[in-house]
Amino acid sequence: MIRITQNAELDDATRAALASGRAQPALDLFIETLMEMRGISETEGQAIAGAALESETPVDLSADALAMTFAAIERGGALPTREMTYPELGGLPVRLREAVLAAEGKAGWKTIGLGIRSLDLGAVGGLKAEIIRVAPGTTVPRHTHKGRELTLCIHGEYLDSGAVFGPGDFSYRDAAEHHEPKALAGAPAYALAVTDAGLKFDGLLGMFQALFRL
Amino acid sequence: MGGKGHTKPAGETLSEAERARFADLLGAVAIRQDRNAFAELFAYYAPRVKSYLLRLGADNALAEEIVQDVMVTVWRKAGLFDRAQASASTWIFRIARNRRIDLFRRSKRPELDPEEEMVLPSGVEAPDARVEAMETEARVRAAMKDLPEEQVLLLKLAFYEGLSHSEIAAKLGAPLGTVKSRIRLAFAKMKARLGDD
Repeated sequence: MIRITQNAELDDATRAALASGRAQPALDLFIETLMEMRGISETEGQAIAGAALESETPVDLSADALAMTFAAIERGGALPTREMTYPELGGLPVRLREAVLAAEGKAGWKTIGLGIRSLDLGAVGGLKAEIIRVAPGTTVPRHTHKGRELTLCIHGEYLDSGAVFGPGDFSYRDAAEHHEPKALAGAPAYALAVTDAGLKFDGLLGMFQALFRL
Repeated sequence: MGGKGHTKPAGETLSEAERARFADLLGAVAIRQDRNAFAELFAYYAPRVKSYLLRLGADNALAEEIVQDVMVTVWRKAGLFDRAQASASTWIFRIARNRRIDLFRRSKRPELDPEEEMVLPSGVEAPDARVEAMETEARVRAAMKDLPEEQVLLLKLAFYEGLSHSEIAAKLGAPLGTVKSRIRLAFAKMKARLGDD
């Protein structure tokens, strides 16, 4: 297991992947959440993309495009104001919070063990993102993963392989490494986990190597 | 609608006054659901977002559908726009960029290129960037005006279209090493320029 607590150093290729949205959605969500939790911003890359949009050659839309958009706005009504299942997650970075709300509106939280629940955030392109909730003082039974796993602590604290993880700390773990993370007493611990089922991390690891000098 | 969006020539970025105007329009949408303000935003941004989506390989019908989704999101989330953090263009691009997932779903566009090497890490980002965001928006545009056309193209291909270095090399028929070093150079020049004054 590699535990990473220091700040990220972005290279140009990583900046470009983040600005343009080229990375796989699960990993993109992971990195954006991580950066926001650590107060890292990447304004130049985003501004390049914004300026490029301005210099884009406009392409005409169908004549009724604006009317159809207004119609869609009226059909949609106000933004749904669903309550989050766990109010302590209300302070999450906005994109992750939206992903949580969307997932709670679909399959929702599933109990996967005593005091352990998971929320599937969905997968596109081979990577899976989920949130794991571990009740205070609960240990997740010793397990391995089929593939590799990136885990970001998003709330509370947990002990894993001898190290304490707090919000913004994350780890990278190879397949076949056993672990049994334990939430510290007092508050539930939440982690955002991205797994690859053993197939898909190769191209993505480059990004993490560059980002965190693994 | 006499929206200035239609008259602005292609290829040019917005002036500071125009950026301020679009930020005001987003504010009007947020505060009083101003439909005229939205129509003006639509006239400028929708045809550009469509162009972006076509560039990424969407067909006309899909591009129109996603543009509509993006603009509905602009309407609904206008209240979350913070002009101190980003220009309207950068904010709207972020929304469009996040909809790339739909393109992933419906096409077989390659994922991150496994063969791609990453260039050397550069410096750590300052955490107080928020206050400087407006400044950054202005300086990025100034730098893009000054840089040689070829370097601006490289930055756009990487940061806007999201092509990997090897995809850019293939597209331009240039060696991968050359593409990497030129992107590094172009970004370094922009950073150096950002560090000026």
